[in-house]
Amino acid sequence: MKPEQPSLWGEPHHRDEAEPVPPARTVPRILRVTDLNRRVRSLLDADAILADIWVEGEISQPSYPPSGHCFFTLKDANSQVRAALFREELARAPVRPVHGMNVIIHGRVRAYEPQGVYQLYVDSLTPAGAGDRHARYEALRAELAATGIFEEARKRPIPRWPRRIGVVTSPVGAVWRDITNVLRRRYPLAELILSPTIVQGATAAPAIVRALQRLYAQPALDAIILARGGGSLEDLWCFNDERVVRAVADAPVPIIVGVGHESDITLADFAADLRAPTPSAAAELATPDAAQLATIIGRLRERATNALAGWATDRRGFVDAEERALTRLAPDIGAARQRAADLIDRGGRAVGDQLERRRALLTATGEALRTLSPAATLERGYAVARTTDGRIVLDASSVAVGAALRVTVARGTVETRVERTNDEGTEELLA
Amino acid sequence: MTDDTALRELSDDDLVKRPFDELVVALQQTVHKLEAGNVGLEESITLYKDGLRLHAACDKRLREAELTITELGRRGVTGAEPEE
Repeated sequence: MKPEQPSLWGEPHHRDEAEPVPPARTVPRILRVTDLNRRVRSLLDADAILADIWVEGEISQPSYPPSGHCFFTLKDANSQVRAALFREELARAPVRPVHGMNVIIHGRVRAYEPQGVYQLYVDSLTPAGAGDRHARYEALRAELAATGIFEEARKRPIPRWPRRIGVVTSPVGAVWRDITNVLRRRYPLAELILSPTIVQGATAAPAIVRALQRLYAQPALDAIILARGGGSLEDLWCFNDERVVRAVADAPVPIIVGVGHESDITLADFAADLRAPTPSAAAELATPDAAQLATIIGRLRERATNALAGWATDRRGFVDAEERALTRLAPDIGAARQRAADLIDRGGRAVGDQLERRRALLTATGEALRTLSPAATLERGYAVARTTDGRIVLDASSVAVGAALRVTVARGTVETRVERTNDEGTEELLA
Repeated sequence: MTDDTALRELSDDDLVKRPFDELVVALQQTVHKLEAGNVGLEESITLYKDGLRLHAACDKRLREAELTITELGRRGVTGAEPEE
């Protein structure tokens, strides 16, 4: 510095190291590199736009030094800029920067004096298009939900013991291996029908649809598993494709979707009859556990044995019960017989007495009847006079003089004629 | 479902080829009939023998089962998808 030359500077009173003033044209002011960089830095720091800026670009060659920070180049087709994402901001970022990733960055531009570069200091970073994609996802979800294909009522139960299980997944990689491992251990009785497909990339969605439809044409399938391993949001995006979602909803038999990890939920999951958190879980949800089946059939056999033993026990119990009942009844029969005999005796006696009394009564009655009979009266000297037409003559005036009368006496009949009548003589008879 | 008379007529070899779930259901039905107890001695013994045969067939199926895998389009019939 040469403070003795202030006149050469345009603004001597404001001159300081932080704000060097351009030297006059005529007399060059020789700056140190540090001064230069500081000058540039202060210019950049003073710019309000550069202090609060959004930039979209593609990440290139990210590096992760031991400091925990991340440094990368952000570029587009024509230009590039260095970027720094410090440890704290990196921890908050929704994605870890990887080569080729398109991102939208917020931050500020500053000069890095030691290297004479300006760079982007990132305070937030999101995958480019995430906002758009989320909006598209929500719109499609609402649209498909309105068609009813996500309705709980559409969901069918998974058959308890599936014989033929269709699987749509990539035939290479861990997912198919996991599924077959689970089923070998858990339910080797099943027959698996693999319908292979690619499960990522731009052509994945139509390929998955074709693989599903090939399975749908298979006879006698009991259930279908659609599976894919974990991956980035972009990798799983084909399971949000409308064609895939609709193909899942069209499954002719119950379909289980197991895509990505527990937290990944795609529209295909909503359309499935059952959502599995992972591909392995899908295989487990599709099948019973053979170890439990062995226990179940073992118990059935025990029950058959117990039932047969029970049959015999029940019959023996029945016979015993009958025998006891008979034993209980036997003394009763004797007593009843005794009672019956008693009753017969008493009845016989009662009837006998009754007959005797009746017989006596009858004799007495016969005597009385005999006493009252006309024959007995005639025997006592009375006679009965009848007219020729058989009327008994009770009143003397009822017969005419000269009428024939037939008089019955105790022994025989007298034929006579009326000579005279009078209405006296009854008292005489009684006197 | 095949009724128990039809299953009775199958040889042990044919019985074990029936679908596993069908065998288990037949076993369950046999046990239920035995447990109901409203059959005679002869029928009970026949049912019990049925149960033992069905149990043996289920057990054999479980022990000897091997996962069968068919891959659609592998033989070029329907055109496989390219692999990842």
